[in-house]
Amino acid sequence: MPVSRIVRNTLITALVIAAFAVSYRVTEADFPRLFRDLPKGRELLTAFLTPDVFTRDVETRTVSIVFPIPCGSAPTEESLPSEGPRLVPSVLCAEPLEKFTLEGFDLQPNSEVVIRWRLPDGRTMTAIRTQTDANGHFSQEVQARPIQSTVDGVASRLEVDTLTPVGGLKPSQALKDVTDNMFVTIFMALLSTTLATVIAAPLSFLAASNITRKGVIGTFVYYLFRSFFNLMRSYDPLVMATVFGFWLSFGPFPGFLALTVVTIASLGKLFSEAVENIDPGPVEALQATGAPPLHTVRYGVVPQVVPDFISYIIYHWDINVRISTIIGFVGGGGIGYYLNLSINDFKWHQAGTAIWAIVIVVWAMDFLSSEIRKRLT
Amino acid sequence: MLKIQNLSKTYPNGTQALKNVSFDVKDGEFLVVIGLSGSGKSTLLRCINRLIEPTEGKIFWDDVDITAAPPAELRRIRRKIGMVFQQFNLVKRSSVMTNVLSGRLGYVNPWTSLLGIWAQEDKQRALQALDRVGIADKAYSRADALSGGQQQRVGIARALMQDPKLILADEPVASLDPVLSHSILQYLEGLNKEGITVICSLHFLDLVHRYATRVVALKDGVKVFEGSAKEIDRAKFKEIYGEEAQEVRAASL
Ligand SMILES: Nc1ncnc2c1ncn2[C@@H]1O[C@H](COP(=O)(O)OP(=O)(O)OP(=O)(O)O)[C@@H](O)[C@H]1O
Ligand SMILES: [Mg+2]
Repeated sequence: MPVSRIVRNTLITALVIAAFAVSYRVTEADFPRLFRDLPKGRELLTAFLTPDVFTRDVETRTVSIVFPIPCGSAPTEESLPSEGPRLVPSVLCAEPLEKFTLEGFDLQPNSEVVIRWRLPDGRTMTAIRTQTDANGHFSQEVQARPIQSTVDGVASRLEVDTLTPVGGLKPSQALKDVTDNMFVTIFMALLSTTLATVIAAPLSFLAASNITRKGVIGTFVYYLFRSFFNLMRSYDPLVMATVFGFWLSFGPFPGFLALTVVTIASLGKLFSEAVENIDPGPVEALQATGAPPLHTVRYGVVPQVVPDFISYIIYHWDINVRISTIIGFVGGGGIGYYLNLSINDFKWHQAGTAIWAIVIVVWAMDFLSSEIRKRLT
Repeated sequence: MLKIQNLSKTYPNGTQALKNVSFDVKDGEFLVVIGLSGSGKSTLLRCINRLIEPTEGKIFWDDVDITAAPPAELRRIRRKIGMVFQQFNLVKRSSVMTNVLSGRLGYVNPWTSLLGIWAQEDKQRALQALDRVGIADKAYSRADALSGGQQQRVGIARALMQDPKLILADEPVASLDPVLSHSILQYLEGLNKEGITVICSLHFLDLVHRYATRVVALKDGVKVFEGSAKEIDRAKFKEIYGEEAQEVRAASL
């Protein structure tokens, strides 16, 4: 007996170790990378931690000079001014991809500088950004990027914008967009929870054994709705949202539908359990008075389950705000979608704003729902 | 006149709760059913209004076969049979008023009552019923804010709303202290004096002596005694409650 047990235990241990080894391989776990890639992570983290919340109005001033590429394709600037805001390149023209130094003098001090190319057709290409010092001076290496930029003898120009913040703080565009999208998410969750409640509440009574499971038809109805709820519940809202997304094209509507379907199932199940857990005494008492069946439910069951129902509805609204955030990521609109776009555009500060908003809203919903539920008895 | 004929009940798990029980209850009687715990008192009372379906036997009430009544007729019969429970069976979160009014659900317009709308007349009737059991001032309290004795009075008021000819009371005072027990039973006695037949199961023999006009005793689902309370002597007591029954109880006879 002990021998066979030792063999069995060794076998089980070996299997467990093998399973872990395989899992480690397939997940390509590389923990040292966590530390090697730390600098990159820190940059991201800093960006996230400094969300784009407020802006100030910016005054933009532009200076420019003609800058032909390649040399000789058009006349160069005749004489550079020696006073006032001005640009001084180390060369007056350049071959494609040649590097030269651009200096600026007497510009707005301590301002952000955007250096760009303006092509003859009016389009622009941003070259690089830098900063002026306290004297309004900058010096920056620039590469002649536009290849063969002269068209019909008109040369491209080098333009420099100095951006000076003026006036007080005001909510940034990102903050406004995040707020708008957050409302989309919250209301999507609210609407889907409401619709799901309206559908699940009556159906849940049909899936409660103490209400329907009597006689052949009753038992059939009971199993029908019970399995319906169980089946629907086993689908992940994300998968459902993706399916609806292909069908109805992406946007808030398919996300809303997916959320509603999943919530119907989940609430239906929770509601029917609440109905099953009531005190049967009052129901019996009402049956004994000769009340019709529907009235027995209305007066004997409903008052008993109302607090539970409300508590589950609020709980689900809370959950649905989270889920609809994630559904947004797969194209369902709202804050998740906005976050996804921000990340794809490398707009980290903007993404930071969205993440903060999600954290705050989820926390607030959690707090609110637990407070409300505490008060229900 | 209620005629119970060869009533038997076997639960789905095989328990035989009633075995071939027969007896009659005349209008205006205060019939008390006694017996040990598990002897089948609740089963018997619940068979009368078919909260439990009897397995065999018949119950006639004024020559109407209750056991054969289809659902709609059964509801009409139940309207006339009030029931009072040991655990009161009130909807705890509803108001006393709503609990009492719900006793009228067998009579009122099904549509308006489904919406919770009640006729002034029914509300008046409910207040009168509450007044009758001395708690009209509690009409708008939540049912679970009341003491046990008060809750049982709400239970009686609810039964009164049915304008019953018969009241089934299943150990109505088992959850109450002796003083409250008397006050509750006196309400039932008062109703009985007005002509409502009462069938009531009780535990304490002193209460049986005080209120019963007739007694039926059950033991393991079998009727072992039928007669007046006075006829229960020491030997009968032992037969009903078993040899090992407390001598204290027997001595009190
Ligand atoms: N729903 C049920 N299913 C199976 N057996 C039951 C059920 N209800 C009661 N019984 C059994 O039937 C028998 C009679 O029960 P009943 O409740 O009628 O007794 P009682 O005299 O009212 O007892 P008590 O004084 O405890 O209320 C008991 O053995 C009980 O265990
Ligand atoms: Mg009982």
